[in-house]
Amino acid sequence: MWFFILAELLVFGVFFLAYAFARMRNVELFNASQLELDRISGAINTILLISGSYFVVRAVDQIRHDRSRACAHWLIAAMACGGTFLILKLVEFGAKFEAGINMSTNTFFMFYLGLGFFHFMHVILGMVILGAVALKAWKGGYSASNYGGVETGAAYWHMVDLVWIVLFPLIYILN
Amino acid sequence: MTTATFQWLTLVTLTALTFSVAETGLSGSSILIPVLLATLLKGRLVIDRFMALQGVSGPWRWVVLGWLLLVLGLIAYTFLYS
Repeated sequence: MWFFILAELLVFGVFFLAYAFARMRNVELFNASQLELDRISGAINTILLISGSYFVVRAVDQIRHDRSRACAHWLIAAMACGGTFLILKLVEFGAKFEAGINMSTNTFFMFYLGLGFFHFMHVILGMVILGAVALKAWKGGYSASNYGGVETGAAYWHMVDLVWIVLFPLIYILN
Repeated sequence: MTTATFQWLTLVTLTALTFSVAETGLSGSSILIPVLLATLLKGRLVIDRFMALQGVSGPWRWVVLGWLLLVLGLIAYTFLYS
């Protein structure tokens, strides 16, 4: 799993740097376009993913104490954070499309929509992984001596969070 | 309060601070440095505490931390020299 996570980080890193270097040649365009973004939505989404990561930490802690049902509950809470993130993101993207903004509007929005959608898909995959782990935990498939699957799912979810922690200031804040 | 809860509150506080700095309308290096430092701190908390890579044998922690430092460092370069 760690090789997979590192490969994901590498891909996101390349996209982040592509954005940053593209911005060097179009500073005014990027600064003007960034003003169109919903920064509050971005901040709330950051809190949601951070909270989801915290809930996953609590889930791992519960399974270490052999409490598989409590582990499943924390994982479901993390998935709820992920689901709310997705809803907010859809609302944000919907508002942009309604305003006539799409990937071909300009370079900034190509990165904003492209990176946002790429990360969006990773949140969905993270939720699927957490869902599978939660189901197995609920059925008693993990224990204090056998919880590698919970840690693996947790590591993937934290990676999704880590990527957003960089993406949020890069796209929404820095100018 | 558990250690994890304190770390979560730290992450939330740093996010709020980042958002507040942006709302002041600052730009350039006056916003770049505090925001990137907050991002570095948040990333390190997630890597070392939430991913629990601190103290793990092998290169994993340094590879992930290296990724974070490299990406943030190059972002800083592009913003400072644009």
